[in-house]
Amino acid sequence: MVKFELKRDRIIARWRDRKYEYIIEPRYWRNPWIGVLLLVLLPLAIFRYPAFLTMFTTANLLAAITIPLGLQMVGTARVNFGPQLYLGIGGYTAALLNLHLGWHPFLTFLATIVMCAAIALMLSPITWIAKGLYFSLITLILPLAFLDLTFIYGDLFRGEVGLVGMSPLLDLGRVTWNYVSYYYLSLALMLFYLLVADKIGRSRYGVTLAAINEDEDVARMMGVNVSRNKVFYYVFPSVLTGIVGWFIVHTFRTFAGVTYLPLDYMLKILIIILIGGRAYSYGAVWGAYFVAILEDVIRPLGPINYVVFPLVLIAAIVFLPRGEGIFGLYHKRHHRDYFPQLKVRRN
Amino acid sequence: MLEIQGLHKSFGGLQAVSDVGFSVQEGEIVGLIGPNGAGKTTVMNLVSGTFKADRGSIRFMGEEISGLPSNKICHRGICRTYQIPRPFYAMTALASVTVSVLNGGHRPNMSLFDASFEASYYLEFVGLFAKRDTLARDLNLYELRMLELARALATVPKLLLLDEAMAGLNPGEASRALDMIWSAQEQFGITILWIEHVMKVIMAAAQRIVVLQHGQKLVEGTPKEVINDERVIKAYLGGRHVVH
Repeated sequence: MVKFELKRDRIIARWRDRKYEYIIEPRYWRNPWIGVLLLVLLPLAIFRYPAFLTMFTTANLLAAITIPLGLQMVGTARVNFGPQLYLGIGGYTAALLNLHLGWHPFLTFLATIVMCAAIALMLSPITWIAKGLYFSLITLILPLAFLDLTFIYGDLFRGEVGLVGMSPLLDLGRVTWNYVSYYYLSLALMLFYLLVADKIGRSRYGVTLAAINEDEDVARMMGVNVSRNKVFYYVFPSVLTGIVGWFIVHTFRTFAGVTYLPLDYMLKILIIILIGGRAYSYGAVWGAYFVAILEDVIRPLGPINYVVFPLVLIAAIVFLPRGEGIFGLYHKRHHRDYFPQLKVRRN
Repeated sequence: MLEIQGLHKSFGGLQAVSDVGFSVQEGEIVGLIGPNGAGKTTVMNLVSGTFKADRGSIRFMGEEISGLPSNKICHRGICRTYQIPRPFYAMTALASVTVSVLNGGHRPNMSLFDASFEASYYLEFVGLFAKRDTLARDLNLYELRMLELARALATVPKLLLLDEAMAGLNPGEASRALDMIWSAQEQFGITILWIEHVMKVIMAAAQRIVVLQHGQKLVEGTPKEVINDERVIKAYLGGRHVVH
């Protein structure tokens, strides 16, 4: 028989010789399984509304882009303003190989990883050379340059129209089931990224990452191979972002650079980072859901919605200057929890 | 242990270090003194790999280390503290020292738990164990200096470079810090190259003193020899204070 006992700040449940404690205030509900369970059960409530399923699938994908970005920002101690470059590279690699060479999604997956890793490795020296604002500016320009290429080589990339008709990852016969399956696949991808980021953050490598983010010269003096770490934490998250591009290609079955490469898309990622807390993995999920819902809510407003996101971004910068985000401010349990503060450094 | 020969370093038109050479024997405490702008910290930056020398040689344990990156120099057994403490402000004292334990000495595949355990030992040694969960930004200057010392010791150095370890400390704290440095030398068997402006401390602590002025070596000798040297008095106090 389970016995419940109400204490000042917690509920204690006793069953046989076991004791379970639940703190009443939600901010102490640290068990991520609660969040996972909610996300898993979500389609049961909304499976009749494909628009909602698409919205939450988009939220999962936005989170799946932001989580590796947080890892990258801490690991390289630089603020990357253009992670969508690898989304574009991954997406176009998968789409072109599938359309023109008929490659199976599994093969395009491998090709996406190889392509993103190769390009990221080639560009990784910018994490050593470019510092502070210069790094941010370079990374800001790269996706825009790639977007231009998609217009210049319109025969290949199909410019504004984009590529359509790629083979799907799954086809369950009914449209509703397909939407539900894509939601779960995107959720699995996002949760996998969350798990990876969380494991890294809590491991010996996480402590080293934090040291690099704090002061890379001092970290180097303490024996940390900063250059090697920077290359790894530039390439690895880039590959993870590229995989999201691959996923979009084989689920939405359409991919246009004009959707993912412009600054508007980065604006959403920035808002997620600011709301969820800079470089804080769990916050990215909350931020992504906020942005995806906000985007759908303001869509009927027409042209005004182009102004809403920049306004939200400015508000987040002004009212959340410490970089912990709404989620971080609320959720931080101990003052000693390491919260990466990302700064645009001069050195 | 450490041999420096013909070291040159310039920043644009400014010759910061010019033809500096001296050696440090194992187990010694060597003081590096000189007026402001003499090039002491530049020498330390060159030895620790922060800067690359234009010319000259730095040999440590018989191996040339000039031009190596700081992390490789750290792995060979040289670590340093900073004139103005540079802690990881958003990290706790324990986490800061854990970074050194994990990356400094040769400890392959050490778990985070074991590393934290070992880091606790260094914090205990410098008297900061009670503050292990305090963020570095909340520590006072003395505690920051001790944290830097713990961080450096955790890399298991053979040669410790101390850059003005007493700067900003009151006499009581300076005396405690000096005791700590002596006991670190005794317990860990380290050699120390020490930049210091507090003459009373460095003259009591060092076995040998190297004096720099305008980026060049002025004098080298025991504290007694150095303190009575006319050139040193002139460099510090001006010509009119020299008693002929």
